Amino acid sequence: MRDDKTLVLSQIRESLRTAHLPAARALVPPRAAIAQGDRAQLIENFRRELEPLGGSSYLARNDEQAIAVVLQILGQGDGREVLTWADEDIPVRGLGAALSLNNYARLDVNLPADAEGRKRKLAELASAAAGITGAMAGFADTASVALGTSATRSRLASLLPPTHIAILRTSDLFPDMACFFAANPHVTRDASNLVFVTGPSRTADIELTLQRGVHGPKFVHVVLVD
Amino acid sequence: MSEHISNVTFHDRVDDALRNQILHTALDRATGRFQSLRANALAELQDADVVRDRARLIRAHTLSKLDTYLEQFVANVEKAGGHVHFARDANALNEIVNEIARTRNVRGVVKGKSMISEETHLNHALEAEHIRVVETDLGEYIVQLAGETPSHIVAPAIHKTKEEIGELFHQKINIPYTDDPALMTAAARHVLRREFLDADMGISGVNFGVAETGSICLVENEGNGRLTTTAPRIHVALMGIERLVPNLDDLSVMLQVLARSSTGQKITVYTNLITGPRQDDEGDGPDELHVILLDNGRSKVLATEVAEILYCIRCGACLNACPVYREIGGHAYGSVYTGPVGAVLTPALEGIAPWSDLPHASSLCGACRQVCPVRIDIPRMLLVERDWATRAGKLQWWLRLGLRMYSFTVTRPTLFKLATTAGRWGSRLVGASSGGWIRSLPPPLNGWTQSRDFPAFAQKSFSEQFEASRKK
Ligand code: SF4
Repeated sequence: MRDDKTLVLSQIRESLRTAHLPAARALVPPRAAIAQGDRAQLIENFRRELEPLGGSSYLARNDEQAIAVVLQILGQGDGREVLTWADEDIPVRGLGAALSLNNYARLDVNLPADAEGRKRKLAELASAAAGITGAMAGFADTASVALGTSATRSRLASLLPPTHIAILRTSDLFPDMACFFAANPHVTRDASNLVFVTGPSRTADIELTLQRGVHGPKFVHVVLVD
Repeated sequence: MSEHISNVTFHDRVDDALRNQILHTALDRATGRFQSLRANALAELQDADVVRDRARLIRAHTLSKLDTYLEQFVANVEKAGGHVHFARDANALNEIVNEIARTRNVRGVVKGKSMISEETHLNHALEAEHIRVVETDLGEYIVQLAGETPSHIVAPAIHKTKEEIGELFHQKINIPYTDDPALMTAAARHVLRREFLDADMGISGVNFGVAETGSICLVENEGNGRLTTTAPRIHVALMGIERLVPNLDDLSVMLQVLARSSTGQKITVYTNLITGPRQDDEGDGPDELHVILLDNGRSKVLATEVAEILYCIRCGACLNACPVYREIGGHAYGSVYTGPVGAVLTPALEGIAPWSDLPHASSLCGACRQVCPVRIDIPRMLLVERDWATRAGKLQWWLRLGLRMYSFTVTRPTLFKLATTAGRWGSRLVGASSGGWIRSLPPPLNGWTQSRDFPAFAQKSFSEQFEASRKK
């Protein structure tokens, strides 16, 4: 409503003329982002932080090891259908081939434009056993992985299935979120949805007892590739 | 509403709450747990005080240029392909949502946690248009099934036992009775998953809007926020006009204190940054994003002596720390926003007349100010609003007298120091015999304690703490 916009903004301006806002002053530019920390230290911190959250991490020395870990995780479940990002968005070569060789079917996650078709498609995707994604970055201080969307990087792969496997290059580890933003100032322009995932979905809404996997994935695996 | 009625109901609600043993035990456990988690999380944060100062500065600065940041935010949301709507009041917001729903043939709505929707009673407005609304945060879902209202900002269903929830699920969603939280959580996941996939519209709250990028930030633990903003073809995000930060770096500062103060986590499981609807080539996500900015009194509050309450980031820490809240719980306040923040915010937004009791639901012990991540001076504003109430002639003569004297001493540092020191001595004496609660005080403060018990004064008064910290 145009009227409301004008009304609200002019009331704000009116109020600001006499407003007393304790502690208000100019914001000095942010502290310079801290330089990239020591890689081994970042890896260690990331893994240490993830564990108490109920997530699992693996350190793979090369692509083959990473693929083996992914297949092993998938083998623990019994479904054959997976949601994945495109090959070029997952930082290990040969994963796509390995998946098809081992009879995993990668579902197409593109939702149709019509409302009913969209609902049907979502219902189909909801039965997938696992989601496999890359990650733009990891934050060592909180064990978060940053997932940004694009034409080939879906939201649903890390959201619908009970298991989410994120593959992260150790060179993409940052000490914390502020450093990540400093290094990627335009990240929100490129991805309409950017989510920092920190461990498995959880709730404590029933008598404060911790439950994992309430709406999002119950199992979160981060495969660090060195 | 006449003063008489509102006073009676407030007292009744408090009496009820004090008598309700289950609520009492649950509240005590929850608030106690959250408090110690918060303390640990902040202790782990390097330079916690520096970060909190920065967080406060960011909020203060943003509000001092709120018109500029709002215009920047609106332009950037639109640049990213989102629609922005301003709502002057609750009705305007509900009407905007209903209009979007009507024109896009929406029948089912899933909701993530949103205080704004509680503020405008949006669910009723949608249901009046025969639109089905399902709350998806587990606690909110339980409360909705039971036909109740949330009792705690972070743990909405904390007043219910697992047996009660088991019975509720058995009755309402037709599962065999169980009181196992794991099984109940799994059942809720199953039922709600279908609702997500079948909904036409997802309605979410917003923790922060980022002016420089036009992003909205939404933090949550369950994943219901992600599903709400991903599965349905329309995403409607509701936010107060004050909930902005200038840029992403400022956001990262706010996020450092939000979860720590709220649940004691370093960061929530999901930190969503949403910038526009899905882009043309993206395969999933909503086709449309609508951001609705609610004023509902905020722009006027900005000119008052309680403008500082707009710094609030809704972490809930002051609720857990408040001895009154811990005793009576959220329902007794009778308002959407409860606890210390609610006691200041509600009369500020809706006027003092119907809410003249709220600023008095506090002993001014100062615990809220101590824990607030943005250091909001809630006790100061409670006094301001008590003064509003007095001027509006909303108080009995004896209470008015007590308040006058109190205001008088508070505004005069030396007297205030003397009074709080005396109060602490008194409370230590009485505290020994009544579990830390002051049952009566010597005159002239005894008028106050006739109708409510007062928690003991903090062992160190603010002015003492302030002095001590300055000397460091
Ligand atoms: S007033 Fe402070 S402590 Fe209370 S909810 Fe707001 S930010 Fe949190």
